[in-house]
Amino acid sequence: MISRITWVTVAASAAVLPAYAATYLNVAQAQQAIFPGAKLRESPLKLTPEQRKAIEKTSGVKVRTVELRLWQVEAGGWFIVDEVIGKHEFITYALGLNADGSVQQIEVMDYRENYGGEVRKSEWRAQFAGKKHGSKLKLDDDIKSISGATLSCRHITEGVKRLLATYELVLRK
Amino acid sequence: MNSCSGSELRRCRPLLGTFVEIAAVGLDAAALARAVDAAFASIECVQNLMSVHDATSELSRVNAEAFLLPVKVSDETFAVLERGLAIASESAGAFDFTIAPVLASWGLLPAQLRRRAGGDWRDVNLLRGRHVHFTRPLAIDLGGIAKGFAVDAAITTLREQKVSSATVNAGGDLRVFGPEQSRVHLRHPDSAQPLSNPISLRNAALASSSPCLTRKQWRGRTVSHLVNPANRRAVANRISVTVRARECWLADALTKVVLNAPMLADRLLEKHQAEAFILAA
Repeated sequence: MISRITWVTVAASAAVLPAYAATYLNVAQAQQAIFPGAKLRESPLKLTPEQRKAIEKTSGVKVRTVELRLWQVEAGGWFIVDEVIGKHEFITYALGLNADGSVQQIEVMDYRENYGGEVRKSEWRAQFAGKKHGSKLKLDDDIKSISGATLSCRHITEGVKRLLATYELVLRK
Repeated sequence: MNSCSGSELRRCRPLLGTFVEIAAVGLDAAALARAVDAAFASIECVQNLMSVHDATSELSRVNAEAFLLPVKVSDETFAVLERGLAIASESAGAFDFTIAPVLASWGLLPAQLRRRAGGDWRDVNLLRGRHVHFTRPLAIDLGGIAKGFAVDAAITTLREQKVSSATVNAGGDLRVFGPEQSRVHLRHPDSAQPLSNPISLRNAALASSSPCLTRKQWRGRTVSHLVNPANRRAVANRISVTVRARECWLADALTKVVLNAPMLADRLLEKHQAEAFILAA
């Protein structure tokens, strides 16, 4: 019987390259995805040092930026664009809150993995092509699906916790 | 995008503890958005029923009460338990969803599950009317199969909504459906670079398991979320196992058989028309 198991040895490579990136939604599309047909009014907000401290205390999550990208939904509710940074990933996502502050929906808008410093795409490709001679693999045009790396969404969970505390302490009336 | 019929929609949400990406084509934009929303909702439904981390989930109720009296569960949970027991039986326990107390003792699952270390999969009875009963104190963790099942549920929803092709990828556990061949790149968790040769996939699923993702030191020992039921020790070698199968729950469960009982795995892969790829760093 021919074995149905294939062994592959992964070459130990200097993992300094961006591995995967995907853009799903821009701000307008994310608004439509979470609040279809709704009217939203932009109402950016800057947290005071006291508010920042209170949010950090309540949520147990560090507030990286005091500028809130915030929209108010005309029929009630909020739309917030936020960013979280993990060890290797950089994620922009949108959180929709109902009028009572409960989570309506979370949509990832932009997802980027980065291993190592910022590398310009052209440089990246040149380096990559040299290493993988003959292969057609290219960054983000060709690689649509990856299996074998389950990335945790813990940072988004923390981000949402921080935003829910922001709602409780700052937005709720 | 490269679709030939209608527009393509790709969405990503944080679910099942990871990122779930759904891509679908073959309907007008509004119908496609509804179909993808419904598919995410079916994943959320599986998550709400079967999360071991959520004390209010149906699974947590089973873990708390099924030793005392039979607990009635949903069609979905019953289906996952049935399939899990089938693979446990076929693999002589190399796949076993009752290792939750071991994981809890390593700080990888809620601490209260530690005490229910009384038995194994053979102590799980599935009774008429979708009732579950434990003959010993047990705790079930469906982490090794429910993610794949959730991917299957999303694909079922997308088919019902009449999309012509779709991909559902839950952090590496994925399934594609439709007439086209999809190419999926494998990646070892310790290496950022995907392999250059993709795997072809058509109306099939892939799932991957690797101890590298959760491997940590715990009281002087190396532990991970993958446990070999035979000796209740952690799988700690630096490999990643990917299985291609018809359905994602099956691929998901078979990765554990390949990890824990490689000698048995070939026969089981053959039986289920599946294949395995082992990536070694």
